[in-house]
Amino acid sequence: MAVKEKDPVSGTELTGHEWDGIKEMDTPVPWASRWALWISIAVSVLFWLLYPSFPLVTGYAKGLLGYSTRAEVAAAVDQAEAERAQAFAPFQSADIAALAADPALEARYGQAIGKLYADNCAACHTAELTGQTGFPDLTDGHWLWSGSPEEIEYSIRFGINAAHDDTRSAQMLAFGADGMLDKAQVKEAVEFVLSLSGQAHDADLAEAGRMVFEDNCAACHGDDGRGGLENGAPDLGDGQWIYGGSRDDVYRSVYYGRMGVMPAWEGRLSDAQIRMLTLYVLWNGNDAAD
Amino acid sequence: MQRRVPLEETAILCALCLVLLGGLAILGWGVPVAYVLHGWLIALAAGWGLMWMLNRLGETPAKVPLAYNDRVIRFGVVAALIWAIIGFAVGDILAWQLAFPALNGDMAWTNFGRLRPVHTSGVIFGFGGNALIATSFYVVQRTSRARLASETLPWLVFWGYNLFLVLAASGYPLGITQSKEYAEPEWYADLLLLVVWVGYLALYLKTLARRAEPHIYVANWYYLAFIVVIAMLHTVNNLSVPVSIAYPKSYSLFAGTQDAMTQWWYGHNAVGFLLTAGFLGMLYYFLPKAVNRPVYSYRMSIVGFWGITFLYLWAGSHHLHYTALPDWVQYLGMTMSIILLVPSWASVFNGILTINGAWDKVRTDPAVRFMMVAVLFYGLATFEGSFMAIRPVNSLSHYTDWTVGHVHAGALGWVAFITFGAMYKMVPWVWKREGVYSLKLEAWHFWLALSGTLIYVGAMWNSGITQSLMWQTYDADGAFLYSFLDSVVEMHPYYAARAVGGLLYLIGGCIGAYNIWMTVSGPKKAQTRQAGPIPRQPAE
Repeated sequence: MAVKEKDPVSGTELTGHEWDGIKEMDTPVPWASRWALWISIAVSVLFWLLYPSFPLVTGYAKGLLGYSTRAEVAAAVDQAEAERAQAFAPFQSADIAALAADPALEARYGQAIGKLYADNCAACHTAELTGQTGFPDLTDGHWLWSGSPEEIEYSIRFGINAAHDDTRSAQMLAFGADGMLDKAQVKEAVEFVLSLSGQAHDADLAEAGRMVFEDNCAACHGDDGRGGLENGAPDLGDGQWIYGGSRDDVYRSVYYGRMGVMPAWEGRLSDAQIRMLTLYVLWNGNDAAD
Repeated sequence: MQRRVPLEETAILCALCLVLLGGLAILGWGVPVAYVLHGWLIALAAGWGLMWMLNRLGETPAKVPLAYNDRVIRFGVVAALIWAIIGFAVGDILAWQLAFPALNGDMAWTNFGRLRPVHTSGVIFGFGGNALIATSFYVVQRTSRARLASETLPWLVFWGYNLFLVLAASGYPLGITQSKEYAEPEWYADLLLLVVWVGYLALYLKTLARRAEPHIYVANWYYLAFIVVIAMLHTVNNLSVPVSIAYPKSYSLFAGTQDAMTQWWYGHNAVGFLLTAGFLGMLYYFLPKAVNRPVYSYRMSIVGFWGITFLYLWAGSHHLHYTALPDWVQYLGMTMSIILLVPSWASVFNGILTINGAWDKVRTDPAVRFMMVAVLFYGLATFEGSFMAIRPVNSLSHYTDWTVGHVHAGALGWVAFITFGAMYKMVPWVWKREGVYSLKLEAWHFWLALSGTLIYVGAMWNSGITQSLMWQTYDADGAFLYSFLDSVVEMHPYYAARAVGGLLYLIGGCIGAYNIWMTVSGPKKAQTRQAGPIPRQPAE
């Protein structure tokens, strides 16, 4: 065999191939690479022996450790739940009124429950519980379904207009869009509603709107427009608005209707967690105005 | 004068007719406006191609010059740069949106979900894909000492591929997507790409077959692996049933865990064969050429090639650790990912040691500096990838910004650096210019891109690990110490830093594009360099 050309810089033999001026040295694969390859293969074989690895004709190689992610997770979840049941023992009691009356709980658990609130409720009601357009303020003391501990717990557990048999149901009808009122009547009703909260309004239209209101709205909102906790109809005179209180906003609500949804948390959160959140809402609320 | 229409032209004519009919069907029956618009685009492009072919059928075929076909390569370079600027810019807009969400303007078509695929498709397929097509055409001709084996196919590949990209990028903001990551285009665009890709494969194989060298250079093996595997991945992952010719919507053939596994088999190997194998092909040609040194080890290039080709295809399941995917698939993917580090690093050492004997060029030639840093980032990203594929590590890194940082170490640091390095070499060669317009601007591009990458990757490492630790921290009662919201607030400075890093990278890219533009519009080289004699081809 002919003596091969050598690279003048390193003195390594070249392979003798050349493409567009590119040559190749015939450097052997360094020992480090070869060792690394064998070690990585050995590590892999070890894993294959110990853990589930290859598919077989029916089933798969289970490995000597009998490891299963599913079993491990189930055990970890069980353990965590047992530990939490102990750590949050007071909330195992179903007597929500008694829990609400216990002044020691907020200092002990307020921090942790705040995180529970932030992870599950803040997306709609905001981190400060003050709500945003379409989602009620939980701190203003104005309640749609009462601010008693039992009723708040019910709302969280079963939701409002949610996919649950026991959910609360409430709907503001689309009086304009569904043809129950014509546009002129809607405008009159809107002026009347504005007058309820003491906002600037057209007195003549509002007077005409009183009739419209009594015939169509009072059944839920009451003759005086103060709402009712039995059917979730908001108080129209308290100056607190879920969907905005301007003339345009109120017109849109009357014309197109409203039907907000609060999810049912039963099944997604444990009973104890639902109680914790109930208390969290109470702790952060301002019941003075109720 | 009559002439026999060869098989290849018949096949292309048939394909163009089919595409034309498809486009007409879409524009005729289509209901959504964007979809009808796509029908028009497809029909016009196919019709234009058909007219071009038919006009040429009547003519005496022009004599094929005995020279390399570089015209289509120039188109590829320009397309790659245009897509680079679009892709970088959209990416940086998204980075600013993540730091300041109001920047999406509260419009459907500029929200994150619709713009993100414009960024990913723009950089991966627009910039990366066009760069691979252009350089592969360059490399296969030089290392085979043969002209591209067809006068028509290169244009079909180039225009067809870019038509696919336009369909993809214009469809996303308008809501056309099949929601598979990196495979978002709907069935009709996928079918178009399939036609194009078969043409690309045929062209590449035919060109290799007419080579005047006894052996096939390793760069071509990598390019070929890229073309073959992408064909396979693209076809299988996009198997779906369209609901009707009237709508772009389709349903995947796979469901649930099978769908997830198919998707990540695709996703991981798009990384492995498009973003790795293809660009290693680029490295194996342009680095030895630029430093004028022989490849360090022929043997390591072989170990690297077969190791990467064999192992990558097993590793996709490491994207689905701790999910409903069976444990055995997870462990198999994890172990193959660990072994994969060895051939990956063999390529790294082969690249770095090839510079031995010419290290002065790293200082004097920014293009070589680009390529050297590219290899280092390739080494970093492959180590990180294997590391993150280990299940306990993955339980820390998965679903966090660490993953985003990892991809960008690979994409910004490896893929784009090797591409820019190769471009700065190839542009003067294919346009027959003395050299790049300004080495100073080239150096500016390098330093801006490097700082941008380091800021980006550093910010995402910090952000990712912070997120992960915050999500996994419990208090003494076993309750979360931080809410998810707390972790989002904590990300803000890192997201702002990332956006700044991306901006530096974008500015660097613009300087690069300007530099290449000035090179191209500058004076031609006095005497054209002869790359090597091309032997006369046997009559076909």
